[in-house]
Amino acid sequence: MVETVKLTIDGHHITVPKGTLVIEAARQVGVMVPHFCYHPKLKPDANCRMCLVEIEKMPKLQTACSTPAAEGMVVRTATTVVNEAHKSVLEFILANHPLDCPVCDQGGRCDLQDFSHEYTPTTSRFIEVKRVFPKEYFSPLIETQMNRCVQCLRCVRYCDEVMDVKALAPSGRGTMTEIKHFTHHELDCEFCGGCVQICPVGAITSRLSMYEFRPWMLKRADTVCTYCGDGCQITIQTKENQLIEVMSAQGAGRNNGDLCARGFFGYHVSTHPDRLQHPLIRRNGELVQATWEDALEWVAETAIRLKLAHGPNAFGGLIGARCTNEDLYLFQKFMRLVVGTNNIDSSARYGQINGVRALRRVQGTSRWTVTFDDIVSAEALLLVGTNVTETNPITGLKVKEAVKKRQATLLTIEALEPAVGTISNIANLAAHHFSVQPDGFKPAVLGLIKAVVEENLVSQPLAQKAPGYVQAVSEAVRRLSWQAIERATGSSSQSFIDATRSFTRTARAVILVGQGVLRAPDGSGLTATLLDLLLLTGHHGLPGCGVAPLAEENNDQGAVEMGAALEYLPGPSDANDQAARARLAQAWKEELPKGPGKSLMEMIEGARTGSLKAMFIVGENPAGSLPPSAGTMEALQSLDLLVCQELFLTETARLAHVVLPACSYAEKDGTFTNTEGHVQSVRHAIELIGESRPDWEILSALSVLMGYPLEYGDAKEIFKEIRSLIPGYGLLGPAPTPPRPDQAVVESYLKTGYSSGLAERYTLGERRAASGERKDFSLTLLVTQTLFHSGKFSTRAKGLLQVQAEGAFSLNPADGTRLGLAEGDRVRVSNDLGEMTTTVKLQDRVPVGLALFPEHFDQEARRLLRVSTDPATQVPYYKSASVKVEKAK
Amino acid sequence: MLREKYKAEIDEILSRYPLRRSALLPLLYLAQKEEGYVTEAAMKEIASILKITPPQVYETVTFYTMLNLRPVGKFHIQVCKSLMCALVGSDTLLGWLEVRLGIKPGNTTKDGLFTLSKVECLAACGTGPMMQINDDYYERLTEEKVDRILADLKRDGTSSLKSGPFMWPERTDG
Amino acid sequence: MTMAKPKYELILLKNMLQPGYTGSLADYERAGGYQALRKILGKVAPAEVTAMVTKSGLRGRGGAGFPAGIKWGFLPKDYQGPKYLCCNADESEPGTFKDRQLMERDPHQVLEGIAIACYAIGAETAYIYIRGEFVLGAKILEKAIAEARAAGYLGKNVLGAGVTIDVWVHRGAGAYICGEETALLESLEGKRGLPRVKPPFPATAGLYGKPTVINNVETLANLPHIITRGPEWFASIGSPPKSTGMRIFCVSGHVKRPGNYEVPMGITCRDLIFEHAGGMRSDKPLKAIIPGGASASFFTPEHLDVKLDFESVAQAGSMLGSGGVTVMEEGTSMVWAALRLMEFFHHESCGKCSPCREGSSWLVQTLRRIVNKRGRMQDLETLTDLCQNIAGRTVCAFGDAEVAPILSTLKYWRHEYEELIRTAEANGSSELLMPAAARH
Ligand SMILES: Cc1cc2nc3c(=O)[nH]c(=O)nc-3n(C[C@H](O)[C@H](O)[C@H](O)COP(=O)(O)O)c2cc1C
Ligand code: SF4
Ligand code: FES
Repeated sequence: MVETVKLTIDGHHITVPKGTLVIEAARQVGVMVPHFCYHPKLKPDANCRMCLVEIEKMPKLQTACSTPAAEGMVVRTATTVVNEAHKSVLEFILANHPLDCPVCDQGGRCDLQDFSHEYTPTTSRFIEVKRVFPKEYFSPLIETQMNRCVQCLRCVRYCDEVMDVKALAPSGRGTMTEIKHFTHHELDCEFCGGCVQICPVGAITSRLSMYEFRPWMLKRADTVCTYCGDGCQITIQTKENQLIEVMSAQGAGRNNGDLCARGFFGYHVSTHPDRLQHPLIRRNGELVQATWEDALEWVAETAIRLKLAHGPNAFGGLIGARCTNEDLYLFQKFMRLVVGTNNIDSSARYGQINGVRALRRVQGTSRWTVTFDDIVSAEALLLVGTNVTETNPITGLKVKEAVKKRQATLLTIEALEPAVGTISNIANLAAHHFSVQPDGFKPAVLGLIKAVVEENLVSQPLAQKAPGYVQAVSEAVRRLSWQAIERATGSSSQSFIDATRSFTRTARAVILVGQGVLRAPDGSGLTATLLDLLLLTGHHGLPGCGVAPLAEENNDQGAVEMGAALEYLPGPSDANDQAARARLAQAWKEELPKGPGKSLMEMIEGARTGSLKAMFIVGENPAGSLPPSAGTMEALQSLDLLVCQELFLTETARLAHVVLPACSYAEKDGTFTNTEGHVQSVRHAIELIGESRPDWEILSALSVLMGYPLEYGDAKEIFKEIRSLIPGYGLLGPAPTPPRPDQAVVESYLKTGYSSGLAERYTLGERRAASGERKDFSLTLLVTQTLFHSGKFSTRAKGLLQVQAEGAFSLNPADGTRLGLAEGDRVRVSNDLGEMTTTVKLQDRVPVGLALFPEHFDQEARRLLRVSTDPATQVPYYKSASVKVEKAK
Repeated sequence: MLREKYKAEIDEILSRYPLRRSALLPLLYLAQKEEGYVTEAAMKEIASILKITPPQVYETVTFYTMLNLRPVGKFHIQVCKSLMCALVGSDTLLGWLEVRLGIKPGNTTKDGLFTLSKVECLAACGTGPMMQINDDYYERLTEEKVDRILADLKRDGTSSLKSGPFMWPERTDG
Repeated sequence: MTMAKPKYELILLKNMLQPGYTGSLADYERAGGYQALRKILGKVAPAEVTAMVTKSGLRGRGGAGFPAGIKWGFLPKDYQGPKYLCCNADESEPGTFKDRQLMERDPHQVLEGIAIACYAIGAETAYIYIRGEFVLGAKILEKAIAEARAAGYLGKNVLGAGVTIDVWVHRGAGAYICGEETALLESLEGKRGLPRVKPPFPATAGLYGKPTVINNVETLANLPHIITRGPEWFASIGSPPKSTGMRIFCVSGHVKRPGNYEVPMGITCRDLIFEHAGGMRSDKPLKAIIPGGASASFFTPEHLDVKLDFESVAQAGSMLGSGGVTVMEEGTSMVWAALRLMEFFHHESCGKCSPCREGSSWLVQTLRRIVNKRGRMQDLETLTDLCQNIAGRTVCAFGDAEVAPILSTLKYWRHEYEELIRTAEANGSSELLMPAAARH
């Protein structure tokens, strides 16, 4: 039970939880106490002194923002004394303010304007000289006008308390206090835009839209960001169909109004000049402009001809997980019914599938059993293979909140060293950090499990319920020697024991699994092993506990649930689940195609060998994502029909016979499912660019021409069908209720299910040469995500290009010294597959022996990568390679 | 690089505090002693020693008047101008120094020897007018005394006229 | 210059005024030093020590005059984690220079006080936050700490009683506000010296969020004497019951013998200035007195008979503050004096609270205009208004402090302001305001 207190505010009686601030209690009775420095996300600082109120029995006026409500308190916010105080504080704040509202982008939505309008006379008594700060260039994306600053430090506090970035420095003192970065250097930070959003005045604004608008001219559309699996709610503001700015209202969505650089500054992709405006058909080897009619008819005719000649299984379909659920659903339905094949895959195959497979295997769910809120209220968090800030920044904020505000214990297993830098590093907050090479995640996880077993921390109820399982796992880890684990991880047995103890001690534990696991060999197996860890510690199944694989693309989770995969029907249900097949057949009024279906890599192989003749590729670019060693280009080139639905002329689209211009998320309606399984509405903000159309509409048109009409009036109609078939789509509610583990599945896993593959899951595997031994200039290259981009999509966003326009080869300064390389040097990186030249960046956070390169600019780097395919999950792995580095001539 | 040169001293400083950031002012003093002012490189290095960001070091540096972000002369003359010293002639003292050095407050002589600054109360109000030059106080100043101090400093780099431990009035009779 | 043989038995300045006293450990021990620590360590319970200090009536010498024993009593009982003592040696209130003498001439007296306080509150670590400019003081203290540690008065297992008392000197770097206790804590944590919002008070969440006591140097220096000679003895000195003990007054300005005078609380201004400080330096009569540092309201000759104790000075409309007594002779412009102090406060305002930050720059500019004969009559009303709007509306007491000089000079010497303004009006320069562009 929460303790409560009763108080009176301006005559209203109210009961609030103990600890509630007077300003918040007042808000609840509809009384808005004016304020600048207060913000619900930040610790009270009470510096602006605007929120003064009268509290009975207190001699002086009190700041409502920092005074907790107390039993029997009587607060007055509108007496003459209080009003006079508000006026006088405003008079002070306005004294040095330039009053340049006519040219201020905040004009019309400025707290200072609003309160002045309410309180102050039109003439000021201030006749002295105003302080003037010399103008300094602040950053390519963020503009500061320090003369307008009211020194509330909200920006600085946000940057520290919420983001943990600490890039803003209030410099100088007194009236000359000015928000800067580091001396006169331009801002170098995560560019989350939080300071722009939280500044109550126009002191910090976005340069992307500077002087382009007055707030009241803007049209707003609330929609969902398309960059990562976190699914942030954003408001796109437009003027005459031009994208002006993106923001997120305080408290909005799963992100609570917080955003990252991609969400805040990355919105110009939709209106990029390279957007495809018309359908293109290949004539005499060239892609030339065509009408929709011609293009669609040509596609339909050719497809029908090929189907007659080679059968439906000569077709393959691939779709990107940036599409809406409606697009994805219709796509698989199109492939299954109109074409008649199970050769269906999506970009969820690159990693998400691994997570879903493990969850389904161990606990029978396809989604997390936890939510963002559970991360925030977790007492222990284990992050494996993810510098979560860079892939899922908002999930990262939840982790930061748990650790910084609620003192959760953080354990991290990551190929990064803790190091304070311009981008927050989650390992800095860890109580127990295991810095391992990319192939060391599994040994580290096994180290934790070994500690659980050997320190007698295995849950007693589990030991009773599933003695066979516990014994099998215990024996498996006992067989692993601590020396071998220490060698493989570089961490001592004691550190595993300490970490395990602090983890098991807690009541609420969440494990986040990142791309380092999901996109690496046997990602599914290691995720299952992490579920073993939760089972063994007894956390599994408890409220607020669970294993959460992080979705990389915005609708990875939707892609799986819509059944855009060979092994899953909508639901997702297993493709060979007879009951599910029957149910679907009934709903669709059509038998489903039989046969196993081909995965992404199998389709490419089929195209290469000639068994696959035609492909429909929607919003996916395998020729641009997979390394050349996979032979994707050649394979796609040998197809008789390649149809691409795309925004841009990608590497894959360039190979197509027909390119159909699709529209972006900013132009369409529908839904996305975020990483925690929350289904959210996507709403169009601008009109369609050129002749582009939503993907589902294109598929629907094709279906008609191919003689099997899948006709829908709008995206809503498709959603209605989805809702009737797929659980979890009934409500677009404010907070998803996560599924509970399916006890029947868990029991069967504990009985026998665990044993298949147990031996492989519980071995350390081969260890690459330890870093210190590399005298041959060899490093492990790891192609990773960065905070400023998402796939290659965002590399067309002009804002993001301003902060990161190219890739660099990041390595540890010690490796730099060893190899005689300095920051900015050009290097030649090579191996038996190929070579590239790039620029060196030295970073403390990269472990010795490792070199990172961002996948967003990996056109050349991909040449060094080899692909291997997971025999069980068909996931292609190609993120790391052993390379040789030398200074370029 | 401070870390290499003053390793033992830095470790000793860090050992005094349970949280590293507390060592910030002591380390900044170390840096200032090294270069005469706090350089950007020093701020970055200190940030990395303390595991904080360079902006966090910078914001702290700019709050305190004794930390210089720009080079100052070999002798930094700081004249107290607060009321108590002003009552007993600090304005005249400052004027005298301006004439003698040929510079206004805030500036450094061409030879780089002297920087002249006006500062607020240095807690020597009973012995004003007074000034601080680098680490030393000079009190109960007269024009003649100032001339001797400047000459001493130029010649010897130090002056016997600097104050010792404070005592005023000196002692009781009998 | 020497001073007359004091009428009173000195306590704090006693040792150092002995000829040949160097402040070394040997000297201090010879004078009976560290006996107090020996007396209590492991023999008298910490709570007992606190009770003695409470009983002595010792009030803080840093400015606010809060009873020391009661402050210690606010620390959470049965608290297990670390606690801290901070010795406030920031001494930056204009007009104050006593702590400097205490530290530079008799450092062990301060250290013994610190050790006693640490023992009483159960702190194993004490930091002496000394203003950065006191380089010499910091060196002397560090040397004394080393001596005391070597002799077993500080460090691990002090005097074999199993108590740890580590003392560190931490230098500030030029910021008046860091004398304010919570700003001091921020500064000690390596941050900008911005005062914290209270509550929580340092007693519950101070340095590093741990229970902390902050005491002034002079406050702490009194402790050994209270222990050795008993709280009753201490409580009988001065003007009991509310203002007990001796007080070091720092006399500056237009007197013959400026300097530190240790006298019982409750002697009159007149006594202090004319008996001790030798009276006015010239034949000009006394015009104004600041009785307790720059933050205290001005007194006029009418107040010469006000007793220098906490209550009497407060009753007369000012405060005893830090004990800095500044004397001004006839002919001193009070508007100018207010401006000089306001310049100080403007320079030192940390900038956290809007009223103080903006108000100080506004006030200083307006005063400067008036002094430069460009004032207007309505400026006086604005000055009063602004002062009233700053006082009581800020996080720390700086806001109240900065307006005291203006409000009190306006109260007693309003005619001086008006004269300057009339001159301005007469030669038409009142209207010579700032160029329009600079104004908005
Ligand atoms: C603006 C401001 C400046 C202060 N400066 C000092 C100072 O320099 N030295 C000091 O001992 N106390 C100073 N104080 C008082 C301290 O906040 C605090 O009350 C004192 O250190 C407590 O010690 P005491 O109880 O022993 O006096 C200042 C207070 C304020 C509001
Ligand atoms: S820039 Fe804005 S948020 Fe930051 S201190 Fe100034 S007014 Fe506050
Ligand atoms: S909102 Fe309360 S002081 Fe700023």
